[in-house]
Amino acid sequence: MKLYAIIPYPTRLRLVILGCCLFVTYVATAITEVVSGPVTSTTAQAMAYLDKITDLKSSAHWPNIKSEMFLENLKNNVSKPMSLYAGKGTNFCGYGALTYLFLQDDPLGYATLLMQLYLDGKATFRTTTFDPSVPIKQEAGQLKYKGILDINPAEQMWYLTLADHYKGYLNIFNLTYDPGDENKFWASVNYAKFNRMARHLLHYEGKAWGADVMRPKVGDLYDYISDKMATGTVVLFINNRIVHKKDHIQIKLGVPTHFVVAERISRVNDVITLVYWDYGRKTQLQMSAAFFKRIVFGISQFTKKEPDAKKNAK
Amino acid sequence: MLRKMRNKLLPVCLLLAVLYSCSPRNISTKYYFENEKVLDRIEESYKALYPLGPFNIGFTDRAFKTVSLEIITDTLSYIYEFRINEPRLTDTLLAYNLNARKINLLINQMHDIRCTWINYADYYVDEKKHNLILMSIKPVALKAPFSYAKYYVLTYFPQPQYFDNEGRLLDRRKLRELMQINGEVFHRINSKVCYTVSGHFR
Repeated sequence: MKLYAIIPYPTRLRLVILGCCLFVTYVATAITEVVSGPVTSTTAQAMAYLDKITDLKSSAHWPNIKSEMFLENLKNNVSKPMSLYAGKGTNFCGYGALTYLFLQDDPLGYATLLMQLYLDGKATFRTTTFDPSVPIKQEAGQLKYKGILDINPAEQMWYLTLADHYKGYLNIFNLTYDPGDENKFWASVNYAKFNRMARHLLHYEGKAWGADVMRPKVGDLYDYISDKMATGTVVLFINNRIVHKKDHIQIKLGVPTHFVVAERISRVNDVITLVYWDYGRKTQLQMSAAFFKRIVFGISQFTKKEPDAKKNAK
Repeated sequence: MLRKMRNKLLPVCLLLAVLYSCSPRNISTKYYFENEKVLDRIEESYKALYPLGPFNIGFTDRAFKTVSLEIITDTLSYIYEFRINEPRLTDTLLAYNLNARKINLLINQMHDIRCTWINYADYYVDEKKHNLILMSIKPVALKAPFSYAKYYVLTYFPQPQYFDNEGRLLDRRKLRELMQINGEVFHRINSKVCYTVSGHFR
């Protein structure tokens, strides 16, 4: 019996798509050019908008979200973006890094988008319409054992909505949400998907170097990243399994699994000190140049494109 | 005929008995009580030192020679790796005003019992934050075949917990739902201490 007769049609199509995606990812290193949007907002504007909301009713679209907790979570995220926490054991880190940039650039846009999503069950931001599926609406507010994400319903709603809306090749075998899928491939973010989300949501001009299976060929990695950080915000796509070891298995698949926002970087002799944001806090990591090269698979640089930012850059 | 079969079965049974005695499940039931004093001493030391300056400790290599130290401050978490008993380790602890002597003692205690990791973890019940101490051990016996990647993970709760008839840790909120920590279901040792066997030490 021939192989194509054994594998049913939809799976066959998914396998072909997966193969194509892997091929494209493998050969492409510098790919994305992000187009910026209109001028962004301030934290004060976003807080003024949220402070005007005094009597928020429960939303029929999100039956398990308590309105007061939702509003409190929104205000906290807007005032302290650093406290964003994508959840213990989840695959939400890419959405967390994206939201961290979103909140620094356009907190009012973030607040209005999430309020619209909460009240209407769907929302449009720039050219993207988010219309989450029913299982997502049921689950938001009920995620458990994820650390502080357990009590942050607005973040739960947002991360689940993003994972439900954006799909990459890692998601094609699990496209519909079932409880527990936040820890699985359903929520995974590959590098191209991260850059696509950034292009849709952020008012930034962005460039990306790297891929899911190949390290970027950029000469001296430290010099390159330092240079990019001097002119913009940099997100690194790293292999976290060797940074935060969870077992002693010596042979590990060299693939990136985690998105972090680079905050500071310095080098003394051969030791590189990197300060990055992820999971509600900043972390300082010291490592050799060789180790640094081993963990970095993607470098995304985001620069503001509005006139003020350009002037400052000059 | 019967004797021949017995001769063949005997080595197989012996092998199975040896493997069972080293199996994670069997070790889990006895391990804590056999090492209770040392394990509790490590937990007590960590609990006493943590409020002076939050930190996590682990061993990131199989030979238990590389110490991973995570120092948590209000603004930053600092991750360092040292060789065990390396002078830089003590210098770093002193630089953060931590009790270097006691932390070095804790590290040596962890090393001696093959404790791979210790940290404070938080969890939420009825929207309130609670803490527990999570400790992972890689007992020698767990190096047996088929159990290479297993760790014996203990949780120390500050207050008594709820369990079902099979001794599994329950979520306090509904009393019927199993509680998960790092995606694992835990089992009762006593009212405040639970264990599981996991492929991950943290």
